[in-house]
Amino acid sequence: MNEETGGLAIETSGLTKRYRRAAALSECSVTVPVGRISALVGPNGAGKSTLLRLLTGLAWPTGGSAVVLGGTPRQDPAFLAEIGYLAQDVPLYGRLSAEDHVRAGARLNLRWDGAAARTRLRQLGIPLDRAVGTLSGGQRAQVGLSLALAKRPRLLLLDEPVAALDPLARRHFLSTLTSAVAESDGGLTVMLSSHLIADLERVCDHLILLAEARVQLCGDIEDLLAEHMVLVGPRKDTSAIERAHTIVHATKTPRQTTLVIRRGGPVIDPAYQAEDISLEDLVLAYMGAAAPAAYTHLSTVGEE
Amino acid sequence: MSWLVWRQYRASAAISAVFLAAFAALIVITGLRIAAQFHAAMGPCLAAHDCRWPADNLVLDGGPLGFLVEFTLAVPAVLGMFLGAPLVAREIETGTGQFAWTQSVTRRRWLAVKVGWLLLAALAWGGAVGALVTWWSGPKNAAYLNVFSPGTFDVQGIMPAAYSLFAMALGIAAGTLIRRVLPALGVTLFGYFGVRLIFMGWIRQHYMTPVTTIYSLAANPLPSGPFWELGQGFRGPNGPISMPNGDNIAIVGNGFPASAVPAACNTGPHHLENMLSCLSQHGYVQYLTYQPAYRYWPFQFIEAGIFVALAAALIAVTFAVINRRDA
Repeated sequence: MNEETGGLAIETSGLTKRYRRAAALSECSVTVPVGRISALVGPNGAGKSTLLRLLTGLAWPTGGSAVVLGGTPRQDPAFLAEIGYLAQDVPLYGRLSAEDHVRAGARLNLRWDGAAARTRLRQLGIPLDRAVGTLSGGQRAQVGLSLALAKRPRLLLLDEPVAALDPLARRHFLSTLTSAVAESDGGLTVMLSSHLIADLERVCDHLILLAEARVQLCGDIEDLLAEHMVLVGPRKDTSAIERAHTIVHATKTPRQTTLVIRRGGPVIDPAYQAEDISLEDLVLAYMGAAAPAAYTHLSTVGEE
Repeated sequence: MSWLVWRQYRASAAISAVFLAAFAALIVITGLRIAAQFHAAMGPCLAAHDCRWPADNLVLDGGPLGFLVEFTLAVPAVLGMFLGAPLVAREIETGTGQFAWTQSVTRRRWLAVKVGWLLLAALAWGGAVGALVTWWSGPKNAAYLNVFSPGTFDVQGIMPAAYSLFAMALGIAAGTLIRRVLPALGVTLFGYFGVRLIFMGWIRQHYMTPVTTIYSLAANPLPSGPFWELGQGFRGPNGPISMPNGDNIAIVGNGFPASAVPAACNTGPHHLENMLSCLSQHGYVQYLTYQPAYRYWPFQFIEAGIFVALAAALIAVTFAVINRRDA
């Protein structure tokens, strides 16, 4: 893989994970170029954790395939060495200290930068000798991130790492993450899932949106924002718009129609006022479009 | 990797070492007392070479805690439940497996090191407890000739070590398959005692074809040493004689049921010798089915072999499953 020519860190095609009753992830085809910080968003149960676990090799797909850093996720030291993974709720050995974890990592990995992890934790004022179970959620998340980074991975997969953190701890966490990416000089690719779009907007340049176990959006955030726009106009037939563009989501009140569209070209209907779309509105539009009908109806009533 | 095992298990290792030391102290104190009682009672006849075994009337009292020895048959279950079952199940339950199994070590390698150390611990623990109990039981074995009996056989010699390996493997496999600590504990507990009970009650006696001896009604020639009696009774010209049920059964010499005495030999209670010789003339004999004492060690090795093989099979299943299932 050549980073200069824009290789792919992750490429999945038709990736599917079925459990006995339902699909946790269905026909998922996404690509993430090397060096991106990709935001993985979607409602609860959309398949975010499943996708991350499939990419690490912790879970096996029931269909489709994934290519991660040029190979299939598998039980192989060479593959595992390239992946840094931080699972949801930061599961660490509660009775062991951060120092114990750093030492364990040194024995479980050939490439291990324990010194960097210790330095980072000291800078953050996190005690290395206390049992990890007694640390705060924010401190534990920092320990988890430092351990994942100590592997010097080429791909960092983080599952809701900031969900339980207060705003300050969140900011610390994300700045640790962005400085690690900056230090890697484009060699580190990150995928992180979160509900907090404002946070993601600050650090991410790539977006994957999952809803109902399916991929709704995948691409560079800049491109996605340029492709979509919000149209506000009078309540009238939208079939003319639909011919030229794709309507992602429509909100109709008695007087006014608000459309989120994927542009098929320039918008020329003077009845509509075109606006740029924010990342949050874009995500919400797709999440609303994928939600069951009853849910959409309720949200529309609520807006009236 | 081994460092991590030590770091995670050093507390358990320390606690179990303390238990083992306390148990050893108890065993030595009560064991010396039993040995002293044995020599006080049997010394004279040992010196004169005219002791009668088994010395059924000899009371060897290990003191208030002497009964603990009987409970050592639970030691393998404890090891399997509290060290074996959580090995994988706790990693999955608490999610720490997601940390351990995304380092640059494959799950199988991780498992190999952990399983290796735990089996070694089981062997050491089971072996130590077995050795202590075997030493402690020396005078009792000599006095009562019961070392081959179910319950005694199981806590001496190499059996505790073999059972410990099995219980540990059972715990590890149950934890890996069930993925939850508490149910895995239960399966280990009931699985261990269930399998042990089946072997003790129904399978062990068939390792080698038992020996049956037939002797006359008047004789009482027991085999030498700690043989394992599987059955005894009387046979007549028409086959085995069933013992009548009930509490007050009239018997003639050597336990022969009075109800089974044929009319030809019914000479009345005052002529017992005549009656027995009459019965013998009519083809009545005693029989004894047993495993002879010299088979004690072969039986130990056969059963230990079976349980080690079961342990190996369980570990093989664990290795097959850990890679295939999602973590």
